[in-house]
Amino acid sequence: MSEASISNVSLRSAAETSRHRRAARWGFVLLMPLLIVAMALAVSLVEPRILSLRNIINILVQSSYLLLFASAQMVVILTGGFDLSLGMAVSVISVATALATTGLAAADAPAWLVFVAGLAVGLGVGLLVGAFNGLFVSLAGINPFVVTLGSLNICYGLATTISGGRPVFNVPDAFTRPLYDGTFIPGIPIPVTLAIVVAVFLHLLLDRTVFGRALYLIGNNPRAANLAGIPSKRYLFLAYVTCSLLAAFGSLMLTARTGSGEPNLGGSLMLESIAAAVIGGVSLQGGVGGIVPAVLGSIFVTLLSNAMNLLEVGGYVQQILLGCVIIAAIFLDRVRATRA
Amino acid sequence: MRLVGPIMSGRSSSERAGPTSVLERILRSYRPAGFLPVLLTVLLVSFALFIPNFVAVQNLLNVLRSSSYLVIIAAGQMLVLIVGGFDLSQGAVVALTSVTSALVMVAFKETFANEPGLIILVGVLAGLGCGAIVGLVNGLCVAFLRISPFMVTLGTMSIATGCALLLTSGIPVYGMPKSYVEGFGRGLWLDLPTAFYLAAAVVAVIWVMQNYTRMGRYILAIGGNMQAAIVSGVPAKTYLILSYVICSMLASVSGLAFTAQLGSGQAVINAQLTLESIAAAVIAGVSIKGGVGRVEMVALGAILLLTLTNAMDLLRIDPRIQAIFLGIIVVLAVALDELSQRRAALV
Repeated sequence: MSEASISNVSLRSAAETSRHRRAARWGFVLLMPLLIVAMALAVSLVEPRILSLRNIINILVQSSYLLLFASAQMVVILTGGFDLSLGMAVSVISVATALATTGLAAADAPAWLVFVAGLAVGLGVGLLVGAFNGLFVSLAGINPFVVTLGSLNICYGLATTISGGRPVFNVPDAFTRPLYDGTFIPGIPIPVTLAIVVAVFLHLLLDRTVFGRALYLIGNNPRAANLAGIPSKRYLFLAYVTCSLLAAFGSLMLTARTGSGEPNLGGSLMLESIAAAVIGGVSLQGGVGGIVPAVLGSIFVTLLSNAMNLLEVGGYVQQILLGCVIIAAIFLDRVRATRA
Repeated sequence: MRLVGPIMSGRSSSERAGPTSVLERILRSYRPAGFLPVLLTVLLVSFALFIPNFVAVQNLLNVLRSSSYLVIIAAGQMLVLIVGGFDLSQGAVVALTSVTSALVMVAFKETFANEPGLIILVGVLAGLGCGAIVGLVNGLCVAFLRISPFMVTLGTMSIATGCALLLTSGIPVYGMPKSYVEGFGRGLWLDLPTAFYLAAAVVAVIWVMQNYTRMGRYILAIGGNMQAAIVSGVPAKTYLILSYVICSMLASVSGLAFTAQLGSGQAVINAQLTLESIAAAVIAGVSIKGGVGRVEMVALGAILLLTLTNAMDLLRIDPRIQAIFLGIIVVLAVALDELSQRRAALV
């Protein structure tokens, strides 16, 4: 009798905690969207233009670039690392692609060849950077911070050397149209379409494949991952390659948008991408994250800078506010994590 | 330290075994030093032999002066790395210190017209105050809010840079007392740049702190195993905050010396400074995971980086290509260190 009641109580309390946990998880999911909507509404009281259709599309387009970089960063943050070289890799890829496509266009190559060559060069350079990072992190077992700090310097040197420090102008239409100007689905700008495709692909990769699930385990508990027979080294290597390939694709989209190869393109992207991912709820400890946090974080960061621009906040003050927001957002994340 | 070190820092038990032969003893004392001193000596000798002008007095003084700034900053970075943290805001603190101290000196120029000493004192205190505040914010956020140091210092970096730019609109601040610029910043004492003495003093103080004081052992313990340190009665939060404050204040010290040499307060200072300080520490065997690091090695690491830069300058290698070399060197240095440690662990 007494035993039964005890087990009954414990059962009920177990059910209760799981309900609490579920509620906490929903709070975790809903906090960011609520914050985004609240910020947009608050700003619209002062500056109604923020909710105009044009501005919303503008925000979506801008955040789709950031989404690519944030989700690239997210893949390696999941494994407990991060990629400092991302911004400079974006620069070197942009410059290399611009040089290749303008060169081919000058030689009167057909449009499809220009486009394919641009993609191949961009993704190829991305693959090299990712392989460099991945090899040293996984095989040599060096801290990702050091490895990507090294590749950051290497990419910076390469980007400024091959471009001579100047932008490479006149990237041909054959390359920019499919990635920026043209229409694929009427009404939706191409960058947004591409970002959605990448997001869906990445979600399936992380959620539905052994590789994706293994990344979470490696980030959560590397020893357990090894004991479970997961080829950690290979997957770690692949994570860095995936990260750089995603960054490369983002770089190609940006290059198509600016119409030039910019050696300074990625200057602030490294920090922005990490900030967006972590603000969205990806844990720097590894093992926690997904495509939804990356999307929310990217929209939040883009909306914030868009709002400050509309309110005509000066660039220096924006920098100060961004710093405060990063700290506040991470603090909220801590509170969320300890509650859950 | 000798007795407590291995236990507190959770090192392998191999160090505790008694020495048997002379050779082994030499090897053992060599191991913690690593290959850095050897590498530095080899590089210095080969540069002296093959690069004309490298051993010229003026050039050596330049290397000494520019590496002094980095030594000071890297020593601070090391403290934070030891407790398992990071400080990305160092470069921004250097800029903020530079701007604030210069602005304060200019503001008090009229008030204390006849007493340049007082003007300098107020300016220096203002600069150090900036460092202390940023360090305190970093430390409090990391210790009490338990936010990842990477993100905290990323935030304060953005805030400090913004403040420095806002204060000056990006324009250099001129008008510091002449004695500060000529006497301290560009001056020579006993034929050596003043910054060298500053760096030597910083290294000496931190060396004593690491080897002979409670704090030195405590921060190693905190970095080695935070939980164990707290359970053993180490006031971990206090020392965590203290390391961040010292780190930022050392960045301020370096900023003050640098400002004095430049002769103007600059809001835009070498953006790579923070990364260089981390690179110098990491080359010197400081673990990013915390719990390991020695200041004399970090000083050598900083000197190594700037000697290489200087040699490449003399060889007229494009700064852009220099960046590629530096990247490769950082990765290779750490890879070699990792491999040698693995071999040591196998033996």
